[in-house]
Amino acid sequence: MTFLKTAAFAAATLALTAGSVTANDFPSQPVEVVTHASAGGGTDTTARTMLIRARRELGTDAFVQIKKGGGGTVAMSYVSGKPADGHTLMAITPTHLITMARGRAPIELEDIKGVVRSTDDPIILVVSKSSGITSFKDLKEVSKQAPIKWGGTQAGGIDHIAAITFSNKSGVKIAYVPFDGGGAMITNLMGGNIQAAGLNYGEAVDGIESGDFIPLGVMAEKRLTALPDTPTLAELGVEDVNFSTVRGIVVMADTPAERVAALEAKLLKAMNHGTYQAYLEGIGLDPTSIGGSEEWDAQIRSMYANIYQTLGDLGLRK
Amino acid sequence: MEMLLGGLMEILQPQTLLLICAGTLVGVLVGALPGLSSSMAVALLLPFTIYLDPIPAIAMLAALYCAGTFGGSITAILINAPGAPPAAATAFDGYPLAKNGQAGRALGMAAASSVAGGIFSLFVLIFAAPFLATIAYRFGPPEYFALTVFGLSMLASISGKSAVKNLIGGAFGVLIATVGVDLTTGVERFTFGVPELYEGISFIPVLIGLFAMAELLDQATQKDRPLERFAMSALKLPTVEDFKRVWKTILRSSGIGTFVGILPAEGSTVAAMIGYNEAKRWSPNKDNFGKGEIEGVAGPEAANNAATGGAMVPTLALGIPGSATAAVILGGLQIHGLRPGPYLFENQPNLLYAIFFAMLLANFVFLAFGLVGARYFSRISLIPRQFLWPTVFCLCVVGAFGVGQSLNDVYIMLVAGFIGYFLNRAGFSPAPIIMGLVLGHLVENSLAQSMILFDQDAWKFFTRPIAVFFFVLAIVSVFSTPIGRLIKTRKREDADKLAHGNE
Repeated sequence: MTFLKTAAFAAATLALTAGSVTANDFPSQPVEVVTHASAGGGTDTTARTMLIRARRELGTDAFVQIKKGGGGTVAMSYVSGKPADGHTLMAITPTHLITMARGRAPIELEDIKGVVRSTDDPIILVVSKSSGITSFKDLKEVSKQAPIKWGGTQAGGIDHIAAITFSNKSGVKIAYVPFDGGGAMITNLMGGNIQAAGLNYGEAVDGIESGDFIPLGVMAEKRLTALPDTPTLAELGVEDVNFSTVRGIVVMADTPAERVAALEAKLLKAMNHGTYQAYLEGIGLDPTSIGGSEEWDAQIRSMYANIYQTLGDLGLRK
Repeated sequence: MEMLLGGLMEILQPQTLLLICAGTLVGVLVGALPGLSSSMAVALLLPFTIYLDPIPAIAMLAALYCAGTFGGSITAILINAPGAPPAAATAFDGYPLAKNGQAGRALGMAAASSVAGGIFSLFVLIFAAPFLATIAYRFGPPEYFALTVFGLSMLASISGKSAVKNLIGGAFGVLIATVGVDLTTGVERFTFGVPELYEGISFIPVLIGLFAMAELLDQATQKDRPLERFAMSALKLPTVEDFKRVWKTILRSSGIGTFVGILPAEGSTVAAMIGYNEAKRWSPNKDNFGKGEIEGVAGPEAANNAATGGAMVPTLALGIPGSATAAVILGGLQIHGLRPGPYLFENQPNLLYAIFFAMLLANFVFLAFGLVGARYFSRISLIPRQFLWPTVFCLCVVGAFGVGQSLNDVYIMLVAGFIGYFLNRAGFSPAPIIMGLVLGHLVENSLAQSMILFDQDAWKFFTRPIAVFFFVLAIVSVFSTPIGRLIKTRKREDADKLAHGNE
């Protein structure tokens, strides 16, 4: 009897679920956001903060699934193995694009579609006060004698690509010095071992306020609201060098368009809530960080083109 | 002063206090267990601290480190089986004392001199670390390269059987560190197309494998040896006469221990050996050593605990571990996103003081535990292996999996365990491998960075005085091993026979 009851209940549940799917009631199951980085890092925190309100907007549970390794490779193969029904989202950074461009990823750029951008943290060209450089003109002059010692992270990473692209387009000669993290970079910039570095606002702000660092230009289309006196590189005559520590959500490209649209609308609403806005402010960003599907998808593609080109120049692409 | 109070406030949270007491208790227990060392315990506990805030997590690990070094002396004195290698020298005179029915006196002296040595070194830590950190501002890649080379060269005199084997072990560790995408060229090395290896071999699984898994395999091959245990009524704190007799020894050993601890890679075991030898050299009762001389207990015990505070100095100020256990704690700091070095003190001003107070507290807590429970702790060595080691195995697997939530890390841990087992049998100890692994990235990257800064001209290293200073020290340490000479080889072999494990 009990068994029969259970069976009947199960059948009823199945029927209900089936009914809801046909009614296109999306999302019908918990939504997972797949990340490639450790818990507690920037990508993880951004995804989790976004999900606080997104759960309410989506009307379902949502969680962060960490798939570490291989510069996003592990995360990308996990996501590509899941049905493209809008329940599996991937949080991507330039790292994923670099992995794709180097031909190491299981998927290609055509396989993903941008949904929303969640942070956009431009790289700022910063020089140390002890370098004696105070303007972009100085930088160019000094580089004629000896290449500017420019600090950044991992060779072949976004900082490196940004620095080399800048050097190619501006004619400023640089010698790129890779460090294993922002902390080491800043120590060495303070200590005068390197002359310049590409830093995020959050990394540079203490040094700029104390006067030890001088920001020369922002690698973005618009000036930063936090640094209104610092020109963009385009204003300095160096076009198309826009790089940022950008994070956003993508899905597999064959996900139904109406579901992508639904996700876009709900996630945007979630990120415009005070909870997420406060988080952005805390890391030195403003609401322009957030972007919709069209803008974000276009940015992914233009960034990829720049990365692909520079990696080829550096001999790091297959 | 404000920071001092800030650090104290961090520690005076109920949760943190509880964690420190728990860490101390675990430390004493693990230290007392032959085969389980404090490096192993810290390695096994580390993955579980990820879910804590950084300060309580590091405070607990530091407390465990302190207490583990003391715990070893309990079994060294009562059953002539040092729970951990740093206590090996304590057994030379502690066990004869116990045989003469003076177990309580020997243990009391061990506890008192441990506390004295520990506290002495902590005061050195609190003054030396911030000072060293201000110098560290002047440390660029060339200075770090020279310092790391010096650190690796010290492996020649770290505890273990042979200087050459230690250096080979260190080189092996450096080799493991090269796996993954190279920082300065972006090229993949030794990844064999496995995406999980792009970011390198994770540190913690290797650590657990080499320290815990390898020891487990080794223990599995050994027969149970029946241990003779001495009854004792209670632990007695040193009498005034005893104290008058040993205070010079304690002071001397505290200084030696702290200094040896500060040296990169040199840990408590070396400190204890030197502490013992020096106690004997200066003692008026030289002939009584080895037959049950109380100074022979005080000397090594003050030194090995002093080495714990000393070892934390370069670990926190420069990111160069002062001992194998400190290397594990360094890994813990990095897991919590803290980068040791001058910026650590600036960004986390409370951390140094919190560690100071945590270790200070641990010293008093283990004194209390020792007074109340030494005779119960000695029973821990009677736990049947068939219960003890399977538990360790579970902790190994859970710990390796926990950090990255990845089965690959479990495989790495198992492979490291088997490699470690065979290396142990071939006479290599795991501590140099761990040092090599920790310092490998630093030595390679700082060299590559220096060469870029020097426009590929290696002679420019000579324009950096601090770098030259460390290069000279490195040459001296490899070719003369001055510390090695102070330790009689025979004593060292005795210690190796007595004790398993590391540090």
